[in-house]
Amino acid sequence: MAATTVLPRPKAYDDSFFKPISLWLTTTDHKLIGIMYMVTGILSFVLAGIFALVIRLQLSAPNLSVVDHEAYNQLISAHGVTMIFFFVTIFLTGIANYMVPIMIGARDMAFPRVNLLGFWLVPVSILLYYMGFFTGGALNAGWTGYAPLTEKAYQSHSLGVDFWALSLIVWAISGIMASTNFLTTIVALRAPGMWLTRLPLFVWAQISTSILLLIVGAPLAAAMILVEFDRQLGTQFFTTQGRPVLYQHLFWFFGHPEVYIMILPGFGMISEIIPVFARKMIFGYMTMVGALFGIVFLSMTVWAHHMFTVGMNIYVETFFMIMTMLIAVPTGIKFFNWIATTWWGSVEFTVPMKFAWGFLATFLIGGITGVYLASVPVDTQLHQSYYVVAHLHYVLFGGSVFTIFAGIYYWFPKITGRMLNRTLGEWNFWTLFIGFNGTFLIMHTLGLEGMPRRIATYANPAWATTNMIITVSSFLIAFSVLLFLINIVRSWNGGEIAGDDPWHGNTLEWATASPPPPYNFERVPPVRSFMPLRDLHDAEQLAKTAKPEPVKA
Amino acid sequence: MALSLVTAAVLLSSCDLGGLSPIFPTPVSPNGQHIYDTYIGISIPAIIIFVAVEIALLWVVLRYRRSRQPVGYVPPQIHGHTGLEVVWTVIPLIVVLAIAYYSYLTLEKDFQPITGEQMLVTVSGHQFGWDYAYQGTEVVVHQEGTLAGDVTPFVVPVNTLVKLQFQGTDVIHSWWVPAISGKTDAVPGYDNYSWLKISQPGTWRGECAELCGAGHSNMQIIVQAIDQASYDQWMAKQVAGLHPTPSPKASPSPSPSASPR
Repeated sequence: MAATTVLPRPKAYDDSFFKPISLWLTTTDHKLIGIMYMVTGILSFVLAGIFALVIRLQLSAPNLSVVDHEAYNQLISAHGVTMIFFFVTIFLTGIANYMVPIMIGARDMAFPRVNLLGFWLVPVSILLYYMGFFTGGALNAGWTGYAPLTEKAYQSHSLGVDFWALSLIVWAISGIMASTNFLTTIVALRAPGMWLTRLPLFVWAQISTSILLLIVGAPLAAAMILVEFDRQLGTQFFTTQGRPVLYQHLFWFFGHPEVYIMILPGFGMISEIIPVFARKMIFGYMTMVGALFGIVFLSMTVWAHHMFTVGMNIYVETFFMIMTMLIAVPTGIKFFNWIATTWWGSVEFTVPMKFAWGFLATFLIGGITGVYLASVPVDTQLHQSYYVVAHLHYVLFGGSVFTIFAGIYYWFPKITGRMLNRTLGEWNFWTLFIGFNGTFLIMHTLGLEGMPRRIATYANPAWATTNMIITVSSFLIAFSVLLFLINIVRSWNGGEIAGDDPWHGNTLEWATASPPPPYNFERVPPVRSFMPLRDLHDAEQLAKTAKPEPVKA
Repeated sequence: MALSLVTAAVLLSSCDLGGLSPIFPTPVSPNGQHIYDTYIGISIPAIIIFVAVEIALLWVVLRYRRSRQPVGYVPPQIHGHTGLEVVWTVIPLIVVLAIAYYSYLTLEKDFQPITGEQMLVTVSGHQFGWDYAYQGTEVVVHQEGTLAGDVTPFVVPVNTLVKLQFQGTDVIHSWWVPAISGKTDAVPGYDNYSWLKISQPGTWRGECAELCGAGHSNMQIIVQAIDQASYDQWMAKQVAGLHPTPSPKASPSPSPSASPR
């Protein structure tokens, strides 16, 4: 009798958000560190979003001067750096930090203290970057910080570039720590039965991301160290007398894989979310894994497609053009497999599924414009124009940010034990979808008509209407993000109780309590496929319907 | 009256597009035309794939949503299908390789330093303006940037193959006039090349396309193409401006050709 009664779970651990600050500062629990990563990411998102609104106000009509040109250049740089380095990458590291150990049935990351140090380097990195604003002006050369504009000869008045370089060195060290930790955890701490061929696709995505960051983090740090040598020790690597294009090679050898570091975990999340809500297993599991590694390999052979106008040999350009276009193949495979997963399915369009579908609808546009940009002749027209701004936001916002929202709506119940409000979630999705497309779809045409990116203002009256539509739509995005923040705060305090497995998930994180106890599992369920929880549900279903048969001798 | 007609045409063309053109401005130089054609060529498979995939996404929403399926419907569990996956690997592969080959043809045709040019102009970028040195003469057009864009035009004769040699003197700049062709970076340390051959008289605008400092948006470009006779007059005036004649009797030869010794 006692065995069948469900006893209230003993409060062996504290599952409230408001923990003593000393605990937050010293914890090595991957879940709390994950939450801190994610909160840091969201705060950066809001801050960089505010920068974006100022940028849009400045561009809403010709000849405006909401901010002066120097301040404008600092704002666009801070917007890019904050979104890329301090929001998307950091948030995705956080969600992986939370989910990967649970999904593979581990108790914590392999190196909890490295995890702790890796996280705390992030606020150091952010503070270093923002120090620039208090020392005569932050970085003002765009997030890419092309030399020689960042050199002392053109930046004598401020330390912004130095702080940016130091910040990215710290950031790269933190990223390398996190990547090493993920790889070791996934290799060494898998539960019994969790073979590599049974890893959830999100975990596979995290393996590929970690490999990428491990390889390209060091070149980024190297580029930044050389920039500092130039500025502080008087070397001539990238100066007007040196080789400025060398900087671009080093930066983009990091910079292009970074794009995939920001989207592969998103691909992983979508690969988790779609099968759960379609009630079908993922179509072509091994192909999905293969496609991830195809992208990892190709992404390191395409960097110079950012440099088609610097005057390279055309055969070198052709190589980079072909490699870039080839990335469309594994990405296409993933796309078609996701669609095939839902075919003949029973698809429940919950909020996370809506975001997943919104991601597919918008990322497609980013992928196709990517093929245009890869074509060298066409790129010489589109490069550094608003077409590129539109393209990169379609892959980064329509791609990464939509997947992040999908992931938040999907895993919030696991992390907090409460559901996010569905009505607010629907509003969040539709306002974001409309605001996003209203902002970035017509940006393509501005680029085609000759509006360069990163100009502080413009005099051409033909661009006025389009820019005004973009600015109005961008405020719709801001409204949507506000709804999202309200939803997070409200639901965390008083949302509907989620229970252990509100979505009927496939993977191990749904087998434990919501939120999970510090040790994650009282007993790790048996793993016999890449959907261990589905197997358990099926077994229960079978036990209910099947008649117990007498054992034969 | 002709002028007012031209003005009206320019106004109309800028009005009906209204900042929402799905294509580049009509090219006036052959290399720009080839880029334009490549863009159109890529658009054909791109639009087909875009429409097909969006329809598939929409079909899933309309047909396979749970409310459209019978109660208690259990979807078939499909591991995958090797044949299908090969199909949607090979078809995109063929499409992108075809696009790459098509692009390569344009690249090979237009994007190598040309020989046999009729004129060579060295374009050097600086913060914040452009200098156009007409090689073979001492004429240099200084195009100092202003936001309003009322800069000194870079004058070229029509139907003349002009080779452009780009040089950077401080930071990296990028010379871009969308109606002529793509952009070319002016990088310190080495020369970079492009060319133009403008087919009709007119004035075309452009801007610096590489962030180069606080005055980046002021680095406006105007290219003015005029017929050969007007160009010769213009050039003579520029040369005369360089060498104010000391006395009416002396007429210094503007010809740069040195007499053989």
